Amino acid sequence: MWSKPWRLTEAFTIDGGLVTTGLLLQYTVGPIDWDMLAWPVNASILAVLVAGMVTVWWSGTWHKIYACHWLGGLDNAIGALGCVVVVTLVMGLTRQIPFNAPTIHDNPLDALGLTRMLSFWPLVLLYLWLTFSLGVVVMRRLIPFRWRNLPFLLLHAGLLLVLLCGTLGSADMQRLKMYVAQSAPEWRALTDDGRVMELPLAIDLKEFIMEYHTDSLHTPKRYASDLDILTHDGRRLHTVIEVNRPASALGWKIYQYGYDRMPGVTGDEGNVSILELVRDPWLPAVYTGIYMLIAGALCLLFITPRKKTDSDDLAAV
Amino acid sequence: MTWQLFSYFALGALLLWAMGAIAAWRQNSWLARAATITGLAVFGTFIALMWVSLERPPLRTMGETRLWYSFFLPLVGLVVYARWRYRWILSFSTIMATVFVCVNLFKPEIHDKTLMPALQSPWFAPHVIIYMFAYALLGAAFVMAVYLLFFKRKRSQKGIGAEMSLTDQLVRAGLAFMTVGMIFGALWAKEAWGHYWSWDPKETWAAITWWAYLVYLHLRLRYPKKHREALLLLVVAFALLQVCWWGINYLPSAQGASVHTYAS
Repeated sequence: MWSKPWRLTEAFTIDGGLVTTGLLLQYTVGPIDWDMLAWPVNASILAVLVAGMVTVWWSGTWHKIYACHWLGGLDNAIGALGCVVVVTLVMGLTRQIPFNAPTIHDNPLDALGLTRMLSFWPLVLLYLWLTFSLGVVVMRRLIPFRWRNLPFLLLHAGLLLVLLCGTLGSADMQRLKMYVAQSAPEWRALTDDGRVMELPLAIDLKEFIMEYHTDSLHTPKRYASDLDILTHDGRRLHTVIEVNRPASALGWKIYQYGYDRMPGVTGDEGNVSILELVRDPWLPAVYTGIYMLIAGALCLLFITPRKKTDSDDLAAV
Repeated sequence: MTWQLFSYFALGALLLWAMGAIAAWRQNSWLARAATITGLAVFGTFIALMWVSLERPPLRTMGETRLWYSFFLPLVGLVVYARWRYRWILSFSTIMATVFVCVNLFKPEIHDKTLMPALQSPWFAPHVIIYMFAYALLGAAFVMAVYLLFFKRKRSQKGIGAEMSLTDQLVRAGLAFMTVGMIFGALWAKEAWGHYWSWDPKETWAAITWWAYLVYLHLRLRYPKKHREALLLLVVAFALLQVCWWGINYLPSAQGASVHTYAS
């Protein structure tokens, strides 16, 4: 081992080292609290990561440092991807609970941290390693730029954007619940842990609409909120919000989350509309990555790769 | 149009597909293609009529998605046959389609008309149809892997090169469709639930499957001569795909935790 060229043995050794490091961190420092990564911490981490990717790419390409060059290669990619499969598989086989949920006693899996895999150090380190290597390989294909590398770049840089901005941005995402009764404008909303937040917009519910299936009166076919959105600068925006049809205002997306019935009040006026307000400032970056991935996937369909070392004599079959 | 008529359409389509498969063995490629296409038309008609009568795309339950799978398998078989003229591919796709038709006949999971509000979305049909097509392509790749690993004799290096190349192309196309299907799911989730990715058990398994096929493609690029390892990986990846598709309904870790189990 460690005689050049490095292959899969070296790759899996590095991944094993990451898992060991992760386990040590998990049981000394404790699980990762993603809320600690809120702005500006996540932006700093992003800057450090990008600087690291550029440095490794530079050292590999210009200074011919073998390890840095190898890091952006296929063996490392196979090793990292394989380990990501395994660690995600552990997550898929273990029932997951939210990070803030109370400890489950006499459950060894919970004690080990396997019920909160997104905060589990080995998983995060393996995904980080995959993302970092992806960044290095994107740099390598980006500079010098060649048009024939475009499909490769769309797929790899698209995934890189989604991974980086999706995870780092998650701490800045806000999800609030708002309970609105008819003709009682509301500008306060509740966080998941029950804190009240005042918003720069208010909701004035005109009417809560409820439609049932003709053959079953218990399951609603459609429910919607006919409402006005009032902004602090005095604008009034009329819209209808329903499931699958959110509205947008001042960087917030407003969803129909559910409904509730006020005690003692009958008829449709008795319905309280429950709205969810979501703000995700990193979404444009993630969506850019997503659209690049779609474009890359289409390239994958319509462009055949250059022939590799195997003989490809189709007539032989 | 109801499920009562399914057996007639299914039987008609299966007979035509079987005729196509036999014609392919006898090297009558014109008849093989014509019969398979006619079978697809018969089966497709049933899906279309179901769609109209249900007043929604028939994509909600396992039984309904199996309809699409039974449709796409012979379609993929036909494309592979038209391009590479494998005599056996149509037999395989016909047998696989028969299995899914039989499951629908004997365990039909009859469905009502109601569609919960979260599923009333323009994303619904493309998300599931694209996924089903990806599954069919990756199913074909799995059949190739099993054939090359366990059934093909005389493994001459020259012959297997072309067959590996076909397998690679099936995986590439399958992964491309899977990527688009997954992204459509993410974009839909943002509109319906407020977030594009929530690590719901179905999403976690979709990620596992996606990563696994990526391992295959990268392994093929780096070690193009390690056929056996790559093909075994393909078998494992297809097993993971089965968990993602239907195995998740029986997985203890996913019970009651997934928004994708509507049928219960």
